[in-house]
Amino acid sequence: MRLRGIKRFHYARDVEEALSLLSAYQGRAALLAGGVDLARAARGDLEGLIDITGMGLSYVREEGGGLRIGATTTLTGILENKAAQGYLGGFFCEVLRQVAAPPLRNMATLGGAVVSAHPWADIPTALVALGAEVRWSDEKGEHRASVEELWQGQFRKIFRNAVLTEIRLPAWEGAFAFEKLSRSACDIALLNCACGLGIEDGKIAWARVAVGATPRRGRRLTWLEDFLVGNQPGEGLWREVRDRVEAQVEVSSDRRASGAWRKAVVGPLVARTLKRAAEKMGDA
Amino acid sequence: MEVVAERKRTSVVGKNVRKVDGVVLVCGRPKFTLDVDLPGTLVGKILHSPHAHAEIVSIDTSKAEALPGVACILHHGNVERIPYTTAGQGWPEPSPYDSFLFDRKVRFVGDRVAAVAAESEEVAEEALRLIRVEYKVLPAVFSPEEALADGAPVIHDEEDATGIHDAQHNIAAAVDIPVGDIERGFSESDVVVEATCEIPYSQHTPIEPHCTVAYFDEEGRLVIRTSTQVPFHVRRIVARALGLPMERIRVIKPRIGGGFGTKQEIVLEDVAAALALRTGRPVVMVYTREEEFVCARTRHPMRVRVKLGAKKDGTLHAIEMEATSNTGAYGAHALTVLSNVGSKTLPLYNKAPHLHFHGKAVYTNLPVAGAYRGYGATQGYFALEVAMDELAERLGMDPIELRLKNHIRAGETSPIFEKIGEGREGKPMVVRSCALEECLKVGAERIGWYEKRSRRRREGRWAYGVGMACAMQGSGITGIDMGAATILMNEDGSFRLLVGATDLGTGSDTILAQIAAEVLGVPVERIVVYSSDTDLTPFDVGAYASSTTYVSGTAVLKAAEEVRRQILEVAAGMLEEPPEDLELSGEQVVSKKTGKSVSLSEVGHQATYVVDQHQIAATASFVPPESPPPFTAFFCEVAVDTETGVVRVQRFVAAADCGVPIHPKLAEGQLEGAIVQGIGHALTEELLFSDKGRCLNANLFDYKIPSSLDVPHIEVVLVKSEEPTGPFGAKSIAEVGINGPLPAISNAIYHAVGVRLKRAPFTPERVLAALHRDG
Repeated sequence: MRLRGIKRFHYARDVEEALSLLSAYQGRAALLAGGVDLARAARGDLEGLIDITGMGLSYVREEGGGLRIGATTTLTGILENKAAQGYLGGFFCEVLRQVAAPPLRNMATLGGAVVSAHPWADIPTALVALGAEVRWSDEKGEHRASVEELWQGQFRKIFRNAVLTEIRLPAWEGAFAFEKLSRSACDIALLNCACGLGIEDGKIAWARVAVGATPRRGRRLTWLEDFLVGNQPGEGLWREVRDRVEAQVEVSSDRRASGAWRKAVVGPLVARTLKRAAEKMGDA
Repeated sequence: MEVVAERKRTSVVGKNVRKVDGVVLVCGRPKFTLDVDLPGTLVGKILHSPHAHAEIVSIDTSKAEALPGVACILHHGNVERIPYTTAGQGWPEPSPYDSFLFDRKVRFVGDRVAAVAAESEEVAEEALRLIRVEYKVLPAVFSPEEALADGAPVIHDEEDATGIHDAQHNIAAAVDIPVGDIERGFSESDVVVEATCEIPYSQHTPIEPHCTVAYFDEEGRLVIRTSTQVPFHVRRIVARALGLPMERIRVIKPRIGGGFGTKQEIVLEDVAAALALRTGRPVVMVYTREEEFVCARTRHPMRVRVKLGAKKDGTLHAIEMEATSNTGAYGAHALTVLSNVGSKTLPLYNKAPHLHFHGKAVYTNLPVAGAYRGYGATQGYFALEVAMDELAERLGMDPIELRLKNHIRAGETSPIFEKIGEGREGKPMVVRSCALEECLKVGAERIGWYEKRSRRRREGRWAYGVGMACAMQGSGITGIDMGAATILMNEDGSFRLLVGATDLGTGSDTILAQIAAEVLGVPVERIVVYSSDTDLTPFDVGAYASSTTYVSGTAVLKAAEEVRRQILEVAAGMLEEPPEDLELSGEQVVSKKTGKSVSLSEVGHQATYVVDQHQIAATASFVPPESPPPFTAFFCEVAVDTETGVVRVQRFVAAADCGVPIHPKLAEGQLEGAIVQGIGHALTEELLFSDKGRCLNANLFDYKIPSSLDVPHIEVVLVKSEEPTGPFGAKSIAEVGINGPLPAISNAIYHAVGVRLKRAPFTPERVLAALHRDG
């Protein structure tokens, strides 16, 4: 299936124009930024394409230790940005470097990753762990939500008539780490994990843990976060984490990996990710 | 890469000359198959079967034909029924005639049902949707075991197919080669080990899928411009399939974007030609990537059981090898791939007096297997070399020692050479060059074998190990392959080299030009190479069986020597000296006695315009009486994540004996590329099927091949060797490299974590399961 029915190609100058075009097509148009997912799963019903890369939404700005990233910023654009490189000791760039291959990262946008939010993708797992917030506009006005809230709802329906504008990554006093298991260097994950820790007086002050590609989309393990707080990082704790995660995290099979294998490796994966985050804090 | 060798003094051969097509390729100028735009071209598309096994009860094309822009629809009801094979092999084809342009029955999900030619791709696809086909779905079988079971559905029940070993039992081909007394051999052995290894469906994934343009020239002859490894076989097979006289067909092979064996098959040319014939218009056809996975060809999935018996000192006494090959819905290369499982492996260890090689190639309702680099040897070596590793362990011997004790040496032979040929008996052969001992020594040094082997390294969850394997292949097919070359001298002293040999990206145009240039005393730039056009170039079987350098190269050598003789004769007249006193080098003919000389351009001018005017030219052919094996020793180092089962190949060393490498860098590239493909086989590549036989991962998103980021550090060493029967001492290198990674990686994993992986690919899941089971 290709984009065979396209009759018109538009360059939207701003969000308002993009929205009015979307509305005029009544569902038969799509926004185009990186185009990666549009090319992967091309829809035969589309008549219009609306290019949104010229609306000033390609930027990375540091704000109070956090990042504001315009929705049409490419993954390469983020990787090359100084502020992004400095954010959380380079954590977010560490994640993006493991996403797909350089030619695809030159095309793919962060907004695209949020709007598509593939269950096997790495970026949603990282954004959930970070507690990222997204902003979008529709005909009713501007909206904001955490990615967790967004993805719990019918987000695909929202973005049929809305323009995602910005992704905000909050500041954290601590360190994050990301681990991924895949078949080859450019492959999607068979399982991924993003963890963050704050350590005060040798004890875990806060924790963020998200596991994705289970094969479901990345989601937090809040029960594990609660358990971690107050504990001292160390091999004993990581062993405990490993056992608890293995016992409690729900995983299942898809054609890339079986539930049995995911069950066997999810504990070690979370434990090693947490350990690496703690090591980044200089406190393993 | 380095060449550990001192060669005879040559000025072109053995040098990394610039590829004859290198600059234009880098500039994107060469024309590939689809880089033509003929007026009025129709687009051809194929309707594929949604069922694994079904009879076509009826086809209604009326709605599709009524669609504006549809020029023609072909199906079993409106084409002649002629059995043939799609396998592009020499005549008489050893593969069964079990295929038809379109048949009344479909035998796998993706089989041909009908074909449409239309004004555009969109119209063609819409027409496919409008064809109404009524199927009577039949029971299907998806493994050799099911296909061989009593009462299994008969996949080839058509009466007009020929050459099938036992159609009633779904056996496309079978081999049974006993040597000595195998049972006695085992009973006399001190140690007996057995290993059964399995390779699944994998695909060649050439960067350019199959594509073809069929059209009529101004004289009404059918021209097939196609991405093929076998242009002359395409001409012969299409002529048969369509009932056309061969002289009405011209096949042109333009630049090719890779093949690895899958383009040794006629999968589109017959359909495109049929559509062009029916419409009288040019027809272009190209497989989508999904079609390339499902409807082109794959490696033969295979289970190979190897049983080794040895004396206490490690000398092999008996080898049994049993292969169960899945040829899919049709028997393309079924017999010959099966034969090669034994014929390309068993001679490597020629010390055992008792051998038994037997096996079956079985039809199933899955995609069609065919030729794939390694051609059965890859499957055979996986089991043989894993079994050798087990044997070494049981004997308490170093695996290298075990190989050294048993491998064939120069001057030795194996009864297998005579017993197994290409679909028939082979020919006796003595191995005249073998530097495997040196390969083992050099490879072991490079990888640090003895040090790493003596202690297992463990760092946290990562366990490290080293493993090795050996392999050989052949150089062309004895007594069957024929390559021919024509060399013509131009009046300016340059040359045209016309070869039927097919450069599919391997660099053979350059290598053949080097051979000619060396003999004719000119730089490669003075040779214009034109390859693979059935109207213009002499015959060649094509690019397969590791044959081009050895077979076509010898033809070039012979033609060049004859042209050289003619040049010296003309020069002798000009210099008034006998030809035997003259020598040819540096674009000059020089008298060894008087030092007088004439340039090649003066010779060319003289012969063309001045005295006794004639074309200096020669055509020569070569049929190899022998097929000298190249040898390779493979070593690799792996890291195994014991918590997840992830395997990383960290380093790979391959030391090869390919005789004298005509172009060392291209030889290195062949070896490296084959190793990377082998790593893909070992770690990731596997086509998956639903319980209805539908392929689930027919795309590069789900089917993973190694990318440049996955490739470990690969060290390739070409050791000193010279094959006396080869052109300038050369033998082959194209395939042997793919035989090593599967067993070497499996053996390295065993060294690292103590579990044997015998089912490829060694996914994290399989490795972890093995660790939990056996670790």
